[in-house]
Amino acid sequence: MAGAAVKRLMAEYKQLTLNPPEGIVAGPQDEENYFEWEALIMGPEGTCFEGGVFPAKLTFPNDYPLSPPQMRFTCDLFHPNIYPDGRVCISILHAPGDDPLGYESSAERWSPVQSVEKILLSVVSMLAEPNDESAANVDAAKCWRDDRKLFEERAKKSVRKSLNL
Amino acid sequence: MKAVLVTLSSFALTAGVIFNAFYQKNQFYPSVVYLTKSNPSMAVLYAQAFVFVVLFGKLLKKIFFGQLRAAEVEHLIEKSWYAVTETCLAFTVFRDDFSPKFVAMFTLLLFLKGFHWLSEDRIDYMERSPAISILFHIRAIAFIVLLSSLDLFLINHAYQSILIKGASVQLVFGFEYAILLTVTATVLMKYVLHAIDLQSENPWENKAVYLLYGELVLGFIKVVLYVLFFSIMIKVLTFPLFAIRPLYLTMRSFKKSLNDVIKSRRAIRNMNTLYPNATAEELQATDNVCIICREDMAVGSCKKLPCRHIFHTSCLRSWFQRQQSCPICRLDVLQSETSQANRVPPPPQPAPAPQPAPAPAQMPNFWPIPPPQVPRQPNQSAQTTTTDSSSTTPTPTTSVNTSSAPRVPFTLPPMGVNPPPPPPPGSFMPFFTLGMPSFPPPPVAPIMPEQLAQMTEEQLRSLEGNERRAVEARIMCLRNIRTLLDAAMTHFHQYSSITANIDWSAYTNKDPQPETSTTKEENRETATSPSSQSKTTDEQLEGAVGYTAVSEEVTADSSRAEDTQENELRKRRLERFERTQQNSDKKFPQNEPVD
Repeated sequence: MAGAAVKRLMAEYKQLTLNPPEGIVAGPQDEENYFEWEALIMGPEGTCFEGGVFPAKLTFPNDYPLSPPQMRFTCDLFHPNIYPDGRVCISILHAPGDDPLGYESSAERWSPVQSVEKILLSVVSMLAEPNDESAANVDAAKCWRDDRKLFEERAKKSVRKSLNL
Repeated sequence: MKAVLVTLSSFALTAGVIFNAFYQKNQFYPSVVYLTKSNPSMAVLYAQAFVFVVLFGKLLKKIFFGQLRAAEVEHLIEKSWYAVTETCLAFTVFRDDFSPKFVAMFTLLLFLKGFHWLSEDRIDYMERSPAISILFHIRAIAFIVLLSSLDLFLINHAYQSILIKGASVQLVFGFEYAILLTVTATVLMKYVLHAIDLQSENPWENKAVYLLYGELVLGFIKVVLYVLFFSIMIKVLTFPLFAIRPLYLTMRSFKKSLNDVIKSRRAIRNMNTLYPNATAEELQATDNVCIICREDMAVGSCKKLPCRHIFHTSCLRSWFQRQQSCPICRLDVLQSETSQANRVPPPPQPAPAPQPAPAPAQMPNFWPIPPPQVPRQPNQSAQTTTTDSSSTTPTPTTSVNTSSAPRVPFTLPPMGVNPPPPPPPGSFMPFFTLGMPSFPPPPVAPIMPEQLAQMTEEQLRSLEGNERRAVEARIMCLRNIRTLLDAAMTHFHQYSSITANIDWSAYTNKDPQPETSTTKEENRETATSPSSQSKTTDEQLEGAVGYTAVSEEVTADSSRAEDTQENELRKRRLERFERTQQNSDKKFPQNEPVD
């Protein structure tokens, strides 16, 4: 079982290194432990997050891929779907059964078919198109809905911060 | 850095305190008395003892665990807080026994608990790490042995002291160490399972099952221990408030492992009964990679779901422990199974109701219709048909009247032989047209699938069916058979009435061979038809498949009633046969027929 988790993570790591998707770098923090990954996500072009490089940490459970990993941005990111502590709130990271916000259908939830690559790609698209219906960061959602300009300003700020500017 | 500073200052303070005592008293005994009497010195000494404990712990950690991982430190700190809180709660219960020894015991308990948690985490790490060194194994075995022997020793110690001094705080210690012993047992079990798993290249399928059952058993033991502890504590001392949280956690984890076992069993049962194994072609049709573990699939280790998605059996089983749906299309597997079972019409073949109408359409399959122009053909067609009907039941018949009455209907349903079509001129069919023009056509027998051996077990099972429809169809089928039998009986009553009217002597003279059989009878009867019947029938019949020559005795019996002349002839032949038989018996024990 758990040997299977390591094997699958290794396979995914190999896949991600051989042909990495655009704007995403990910891999285990150290080769001794495949259950802690680090990922770097570039802000999608044409959005207020453009140009930013956001580091995140992925923590995989022992029974991966049967249970989803947890993902947490280790930088400040002002976004409606990212909790203030950096945790990412997207449906494919939620195991079927627990529904933190009570609106997701099970079809969008985690299943072993998903992968690290798919998660990161969904996060990129989440950065591009925030979903203000299920707000993890209510301030950001409100700002996104009511004062787009302020939102963009604050987003740019997190971009600059992520680049240590 | 901070820790080093604290340690150094503690050492310095202790040294100062001791030096001070010696400086004042100059002798060993008075200075020790001075130290124990002075509160500030005692505080410094307690702090020093604590530092020693921490240092010793670090040493042990270095020996048995090496560098701790971040997650392990996190767990350790988190659990330590709970343990410290519970210990403080326990102090309130045992405030009467409060003494330095008591505190020391609790410190030891905490200390050992910490190492148990570390060992748990470390063994869990085994299944996360891609490579496990030999050092890891040595350390793991060492700390398992050390912890279990310490637990056993301390349990024994607590037990002895309870026996001597009666129930006291030792009850708590004994019980705590018993719990820790179960923890060590869990660690040991996991270690053994992981070690076995590491030996093999491929993931060990049954490991998860063993783990589940092991956890269930150990969880049960823990629950029993806690319940015992609670009842004893309430009876002897007071309500053990400090043990509520662990009790609750244990109950919860036991419930979870019980649930897991039940779900796992259900998943395994579903796997084995509901879903077929994927075949090589099906695997080739897909990209041959199990989407759950991202590894190649081989025939025999994969299952196909009703939605045609294929996975490893082991992967699917562990997924079904969580969710009963297809990982790809999220089809609810259990629901689709039941709905499918309702939808699929039970068995294709017992279903057809008696429909006599389509009989002619099915005819050509079973009833060879020969081209009528060739003069020899009629006989051949007679042969084939008679062979068909007699091949399955080669029982000899004794009299013409009762002749082969039950035969034809019995062979009819399975062979799918239907009432003859408008007979080709010259075959033995004219016999029907002659004797009984008003022949009731028997109902169509249900058609059996040809090759049962080639069907999978599931197909067969679905063929059989258990629903009401299937049972009804079966009853209908049996009724059809009865109708067929009745029809056949009427046939043969008609046969016999015809044969009774026939002048047999006309034929018996011509017949050179004494053997009779039903097929011969039939052939003989067909001779009454306008088409000519040749004498060669019997020779031909003997070559025919399934033709059974009837034993001499029986035929002799039957023909005696009919014809004395033939009887006479047969008797003579019989005698001769017997004689030659005896001769040959003498000569050759193998009993070769010489005639």
